[in-house]
Amino acid sequence: MPRLPTSLLRKAYAIDSLLPPLLGPCRDLNSARNELRWLREHVDKVSRARYTKGGSSAKGGLLRTLVRKRVSGGKPIGAPLQYGLGTEYFGDLEIEVRPGVLIPRPETAASVTHLTRLVRDARELPTELRILDLCTGTGCIPLLFHDVFYSVRSDVELRFLGVDISSKAIALANRNLQRLRRSKKYVHKGVTEFMLADVLVNPFADRARRPDEPLPLKSALNFNKKRVFWDILVSNPPYISPSAFRTTTARSVRGFEPRLALVPPGEAGRSDTEQGDAFYPMLLVAAIDAEVKIVLLEVADLDQAYRVARMAQGMQVYDGIEIWRDQPDQAHDGSSQPSSEFPIIGQGNGRSVLCWRGPGALWLGKNNGEASNAGPLVQKPYSELDSVSKPEAVHSSLHPESFMQMQGGRRNV
Amino acid sequence: MQRLVPLLRLPSLRRSAPILGLRQSNIHPCPRLFTASCRPAAKNLPPRRVIHDSEIEENFLKGSGPGGQKINKTSSAVQLKHLATGIVVKYQDTRSRSLNRKNARMILGEKLEELEKGEESRVRVKAREKSRKKASSTKKKRRKYRGLEGAKDEVADEEGLEGVEESAGTSESEAKDLAKDGTAGKAGGAG
Repeated sequence: MPRLPTSLLRKAYAIDSLLPPLLGPCRDLNSARNELRWLREHVDKVSRARYTKGGSSAKGGLLRTLVRKRVSGGKPIGAPLQYGLGTEYFGDLEIEVRPGVLIPRPETAASVTHLTRLVRDARELPTELRILDLCTGTGCIPLLFHDVFYSVRSDVELRFLGVDISSKAIALANRNLQRLRRSKKYVHKGVTEFMLADVLVNPFADRARRPDEPLPLKSALNFNKKRVFWDILVSNPPYISPSAFRTTTARSVRGFEPRLALVPPGEAGRSDTEQGDAFYPMLLVAAIDAEVKIVLLEVADLDQAYRVARMAQGMQVYDGIEIWRDQPDQAHDGSSQPSSEFPIIGQGNGRSVLCWRGPGALWLGKNNGEASNAGPLVQKPYSELDSVSKPEAVHSSLHPESFMQMQGGRRNV
Repeated sequence: MQRLVPLLRLPSLRRSAPILGLRQSNIHPCPRLFTASCRPAAKNLPPRRVIHDSEIEENFLKGSGPGGQKINKTSSAVQLKHLATGIVVKYQDTRSRSLNRKNARMILGEKLEELEKGEESRVRVKAREKSRKKASSTKKKRRKYRGLEGAKDEVADEEGLEGVEESAGTSESEAKDLAKDGTAGKAGGAG
């Protein structure tokens, strides 16, 4: 990193004596000033709250502490600003964040918002739409989906289940849900739940499970009496390979955000890239087990997007696969469009992979031939269809073809 | 006691309800009653200009690099460029990107409207209204102080003091005190 010029430091000091330290992590005057302003606003809010509770309203000490935390945090580079402020914006929502849980990223918000808008505009939706979010972290994805969906439409009941391996994340997600429920804007419809489970563990692996380990996803669904079948699967899993973690990952992320949420666990005999992609096969299998119609998986870059899209194609159940960039709602400039096997939507880096099948095409507004072939879709209420311990559901992942037949049969019941 | 005031100002407070605590403190003895009239809505301002997404080019200014989980940027700046006129608006005041987008669109809308409609645009109408109000308030202020000056001159004449110019400051404050006493007396009378 280049050294900051003394003239810049002096200029910053002339504006505010707290600015020069903030220049370290920010690198330019404008963003340092923004951060200082946000810190000040936060300190004002906190001191006002303390004052009404009868405490002191001193601000200077708190502000200096926050700046120090941002700058050093006990490590060579500062802690993320969001951990100091305690919240981060995700779409329109203010989400609480805590050390030990990944801070939500704006790119995720962009793709989730785009997906929600597409689904929201669909003419026919089931009476209960079920959204499964694996590796939910702060719970931001279900909460944003809920917010964007119900801001316009209210004829559909939404059921969300957020799954995470970390109990810290589950506690924070529940807290965020409570926090949003208290706000005036919240539409009190639908059900949002969070559950502790391990997505990566194979339930049939013959290894002893330690008692403190979370259950595998499928067992946890059964054990907690959750629904087995879902409509949409969204996931922002750990996707950074160990070498990318060492090289291209920002230092404040490496030093302060949980490695658990960033890098998939290693296994003997796995290459670097394979370790980075470790979650996707499991997620795609989970999608098939849950008979999911739309899958949205976040990825690191375009290369990983191609790999994941090919994996999904290998499942041979999806009617369509797309790759979304950072801003999927913007028309791409045709200049840097590499000719590829999958359509690429939007602008920016490759960010997520979208797969759909069956009625998913209708929900997304993709009116290709397949959707009409499927015939008129009669949506049965789920409660009649899935008993919690349906035996076929466990085996359906093994034979996609037979699974498709089974699904067809189910539709005509 | 002072910090309890907002709590006590409830609609149920009637002039007839004797509350001793209120009487003893130097709160205005007749608390403002609950009224149903609200502030009139903004006067017939011209409608806001709607910006279609096809008119503009939107940019999220970000550092070069991978994005996603690998970096954690705090800047959520938004830059809008209006294609037809080339006006560029950059907005980065809040931490929320969606708020920044909203505000940037509002600013761009105002600029475009001003360019298109000139004097009839929302911004200009608002500014005219504001300057009119300010002019009238300064006029009132001037009138008031002219009156006070006149009163002070009279007092000075009556007492026949020397060096009126030197004691101008004090006499003015005296006049203010007088005015305050006057209102206090009036209020006491009402209660």
